[in-house]
Amino acid sequence: MRIPCPFCGSRDAHEFSYLGDATPRRPDPAAPGAEAAFFDYVYLRDNPAGAFEEWWYHAAGCRQWLKVARDTRTHAITGAVLARDVAAPAAPTPAGGETAR
Amino acid sequence: MSPLPANRRAANRLAAGGRIDRSRTLAFSFDGRRLDGHPGDTLASALLANGVKLVGRSFKYHRPRGIVSAGPEEPNALVELRGGARREPNSRATVTELFDGLEATSQNRWPSLALDLLSVNGLLAPFLGAGFYYKTFMWPAALWEKLYEPAIRRAAGLGRAAEAADPDSYEKVNAFCDLLVIGSGPAGLMAARTAARAGARVILAEEDFLPGGRLNAEALEVDGAPGHLFAARTLAELAGLPNVRLMTRTTVFGVYDGGTYGAVEKVSDHLPEPGPFQPRQRLWRIVARRAILAAGATERPIVFGGNDRPGVMAAGAVQAYANRFGVAAARQVAVFANNDGAWRATFEARTAGLGVAAIIDVRSEVPPALLARAQALGIRAIPGGVVTATRGRTLAGIEITVGGRREQIAVDGLAVSGGWSPNLHLTCHHGGRPVWDPRLAAFVPGSTPPGLEAAGAAAGRLTLGAALRDGLEAGARAVADIGLIVHPIEPPKAEDEPAGIAAFWHVAASRGPAFVDQQNDVTAKDIALAHKEGFRSVEHLKRYTTLGMATDQGKTSNVTGLAIMAELTGAGIEATGTTIFRPPYTPVALGVFAGHHRGREFRPVRLTPTHGWAERQGAVFIETGPWLRAQYFPRPGETDWLETVNREVKAVRASVGMIDVSTFGKIDLQGPDAGAFLDRVYINTFSTLPVGKARYGVMLREDGLVMDDGTTARLGESHYVMTTTTANAAKVFQHLEFCLQVLWPELDVQMASVSEQWAQIALAGPKAREVLARIVDAGTDVSDAALPFMGVLGTTVLGGVPARLFRVSFSGELGYEIAVPARQGERLAEALMAAGAPFGITPYGIEALGVMRIEKGHVSGNELSGQTTAADLGLGRMASTRKDHIGRVMAARPGLADPARPSLVGLKPVDGAARLRAGAHLLPPGVPATTANDEGYITSVAYSPHLGHWIGLGLLARGPQRLGERVRAYDPVRGGDLEVEVCAPCFLDPKGERLRG
Amino acid sequence: MAEMSSPAHPLSHTRPIPAGHHGRPGTAGVVARWREDLAIATLAARHGGEAALAAAMDAAFGLALPAGPKAAGANGVSALGLAPRRWLVLASQRPALAAELAGLGGGAVTEQSDGYAVLDLAGPEVRAVLAKLVAVDLDPAVFSTGDVVASSLAHIGAVLWQTGEEPTYRLLVGTSFAAAFSHTLLAAAAEYGLDLADAGRGPEAGRGTGRG
Repeated sequence: MRIPCPFCGSRDAHEFSYLGDATPRRPDPAAPGAEAAFFDYVYLRDNPAGAFEEWWYHAAGCRQWLKVARDTRTHAITGAVLARDVAAPAAPTPAGGETAR
Repeated sequence: MSPLPANRRAANRLAAGGRIDRSRTLAFSFDGRRLDGHPGDTLASALLANGVKLVGRSFKYHRPRGIVSAGPEEPNALVELRGGARREPNSRATVTELFDGLEATSQNRWPSLALDLLSVNGLLAPFLGAGFYYKTFMWPAALWEKLYEPAIRRAAGLGRAAEAADPDSYEKVNAFCDLLVIGSGPAGLMAARTAARAGARVILAEEDFLPGGRLNAEALEVDGAPGHLFAARTLAELAGLPNVRLMTRTTVFGVYDGGTYGAVEKVSDHLPEPGPFQPRQRLWRIVARRAILAAGATERPIVFGGNDRPGVMAAGAVQAYANRFGVAAARQVAVFANNDGAWRATFEARTAGLGVAAIIDVRSEVPPALLARAQALGIRAIPGGVVTATRGRTLAGIEITVGGRREQIAVDGLAVSGGWSPNLHLTCHHGGRPVWDPRLAAFVPGSTPPGLEAAGAAAGRLTLGAALRDGLEAGARAVADIGLIVHPIEPPKAEDEPAGIAAFWHVAASRGPAFVDQQNDVTAKDIALAHKEGFRSVEHLKRYTTLGMATDQGKTSNVTGLAIMAELTGAGIEATGTTIFRPPYTPVALGVFAGHHRGREFRPVRLTPTHGWAERQGAVFIETGPWLRAQYFPRPGETDWLETVNREVKAVRASVGMIDVSTFGKIDLQGPDAGAFLDRVYINTFSTLPVGKARYGVMLREDGLVMDDGTTARLGESHYVMTTTTANAAKVFQHLEFCLQVLWPELDVQMASVSEQWAQIALAGPKAREVLARIVDAGTDVSDAALPFMGVLGTTVLGGVPARLFRVSFSGELGYEIAVPARQGERLAEALMAAGAPFGITPYGIEALGVMRIEKGHVSGNELSGQTTAADLGLGRMASTRKDHIGRVMAARPGLADPARPSLVGLKPVDGAARLRAGAHLLPPGVPATTANDEGYITSVAYSPHLGHWIGLGLLARGPQRLGERVRAYDPVRGGDLEVEVCAPCFLDPKGERLRG
Repeated sequence: MAEMSSPAHPLSHTRPIPAGHHGRPGTAGVVARWREDLAIATLAARHGGEAALAAAMDAAFGLALPAGPKAAGANGVSALGLAPRRWLVLASQRPALAAELAGLGGGAVTEQSDGYAVLDLAGPEVRAVLAKLVAVDLDPAVFSTGDVVASSLAHIGAVLWQTGEEPTYRLLVGTSFAAAFSHTLLAAAAEYGLDLADAGRGPEAGRGTGRG
């Protein structure tokens, strides 16, 4: 399998490590019902046949996390973007907020 | 072996012709018999030239078998090649390139090929039919291992593997191209030439040692000249182009995702042994933007009684042996066929000098031109006939039936053709299903892997003119697809020879066993039996009868087998369908997948910066992951590793010792948000850590279980350096990158691994400070006030070497870790040895390190098992409740917060002389050893020279509340069962006075 | 030695292969030389600091930080793009490189001079040998002077930089892999012959102790 790394170019999949579904977002840990939300986030995954977005880490290359669009039926990869470029602009801030700059 | 005089000709070598070098003679042996051949021969062609027809015994029934093909599809002629450590079983004689001194041995016979006592299996055939494994050996089960399996293994089998380690080397190579052309027959040559002239980067891979495909085996003309000359001319053009790589002896065996192809190049298999510095084989990983499968087609047999008798072979093979090798596969042949191509093959064989008794064609109507040509050559034509029996030890005659009348014909060869099956194997590697083409009576490629197209005979264009045109057009399409300009090329002129066919599979009214799959000894009767027992699906048929499951993957048998099944069900071939192929196309030696990665080179070994120093100190090394680390440092007179380790531990606790800890992961974190980031990944707080201090941290996975631990130091306001465990260094780095790039991209933190940059040596023991003071540069104060416990100091040592000093301790003693640039590691080690000499400084290895951390109750890999929470390890109180961190929410789940969970305790044997074993289960005393009663297990053990007995750490249900209790340590695997006392997980200096000293 | 089918076998796998000629006798297909005179540092831009960092690098070294996996060099200093907003900076004759870079402000600088073992590679067969080690297309049509690749060479993480047209390359692997890599290189290059030179201790080998 070849993955088109946005920085490094097309590379064999053996340079990457796989994490899985890129859709779940880390829940707000301070929100009510956080435990249930985290349970879903950590354990529950869809397993679609077809278009899928997933996280891959280019461990042997630029060490960037990529969001890769792959068809699970054919392994056809239609694109890859840097996670940094697509991650939510305002990810949940952890409770306690000791993040003063 | 000395060659024979060049003028002597082997019995069945034709007087002229063939792409062989008759000026040179190669000597070889078969079953010890000395024979000769020529460069350009295969083992099979040389055996046939010498009149050798019986070459092996069959897998199940030990029936005598001969050569049936002239290519990679060969099911029968499997031999052992070479001897000793290079002995290789199951080698196909038809693709084995002859070399001087080649030794081949027939296999699967005992005691000899001619007299095989196990051929009595043939008499047992009624019991060895389809599914015999399942039926015969079902009961009683106990007999399976003792009786059935050994007996079957002796009787069945396909040769002997070498018993010594493979002396040859293998390697892997990567290649990239615009167009990969698989096969160098007419279509492949045209595709490659078209793409190459357009400027594409082309790889042309040919599994044969002689490129050209059927152009070498047939006598057709291209552009008015013999086809093999056209091939040679085209190859010469390709060889002269810088954008073309011609690869012979190279089999493309698999199609993988993203245009990746696996190929194996047999670099040295045609030599007695590889040349100096040459591998035996190379594995090529080829990434191609486009590929054209031009792998030709394989001739199918027709199934009839006695069709496995040596001397019965494919018509195209007889043709190939005559044209390419100058060999008469038989002196007098008959031909049995259902198609026009076989007639042409016969004419060519006759022209080359073979005697032809008759052509028996199942069709009543044969094109008049063929009949006229046969008549002109003096060949008797028998339309509407079938072969109904064969006779002879090797073939001596056949019985034919025409219009209900039987006739005997004396021949020593029978050339059979049931038509041609496109070699579409690679089109199936992504799940593509071949499609039945009734016009060709063959399956043709269905959907193909992305970027791959079949051309020529592989696509069902079975005639020469069509194959040439198809290759040209496929090549043009491929290069146009990738954006190159194709200059128009005229296709070469060649005729489209007659290729009419009438589907015909099996002579039902014939006598004797009729073999469909000769390699696995599957007969037409087996298929009928499977049908009778209710099997209908081709996949079930395959597995029940083992049809097509031998090493040839049924190249000559699959289509015929399923066609017979289709006849039985009446469903038709199209509805019956076909099994599909998976990699590899032909067998590939496992060694080539390993390449150089075997033995000590299995994976790259990482060496610590002080490795050379440790070697000089006499260290014994051990692999820990990829690292080689000093395990212990034996001294003369020490006879046991424990003796050495006890000395090392005592020396550290009494005075001072040192150990390389460079293998820890070290991560440099900078940026205004570095502290906030650490707060989110560790359970405890780092943003409040003062500059110049270090803190022990624990990080969780998001599921609430412990991921890793280590100390992290604050070097500056926005600069930290983290240490991870050796084992988790890469995993933690990847995790932190995930947090920074995916979860919190707004955090301004820059990370860099500095694991390789710094050599780090731990110095431990009551005299550690005195040793340290002797190596730091003047002006550096290492007193307790200047460098207190968990203090960090950047300075220089050894006269200007930049260094970081960390006052941390894993051993429980006063300890420091000294980091210097990696190339200074050995110098630092030597300097510490010199500075510590007055105190008897002792190098210690990871065994002693382990003993001391167990004595202190520090957790390590065995406790950080991925199944433990921070609370399980007694670290729960470290967690800050005023902030979120990875794993916080899930760690609070009832299941993980349950106080009854097995938690960290110390353990000591009640019998002070007893030895604890890690892995032993902990049970309440006096209850049966059942899973229900299991309360935990021992994670780590050590002999404590400080206490004079074995100690352990373990995870015990409600452990911290059970100090003083006695439990049972039950170790059924090693036969251990003893009483242990539960204690606090710290056996030494629980108040930590020593390390703060 | 000529009979060995596994050329690396009799050499100790716990130290780099010795300097000298290895493999096929005659003119070496690959000429390699260890470099220990280079100062190396990683440089990463702070959030929003790319432009300031680029300007500072230009002012200090006359060097334009490359945007992709490329090398840019001036005045003996080269910056290799390893990732977005991240570079590996190499320099000879500048033992205090990391300190100089840190002094520019605007970026995170990490000393790496001892983190890498560096080999310069040349010779008529060097491209063929690298094809055995790295699964990246090095054909001159797609990879040429100034191109950089971070990848894994026979399971060893590495940075490969084409430094010249002949071609010549500079290769960096983690220090702890130096011995293992030298054996891997020999296994790949033995069929063409390998000449390996030590870093030497000449004036160029300014392996100081006062870096950063």
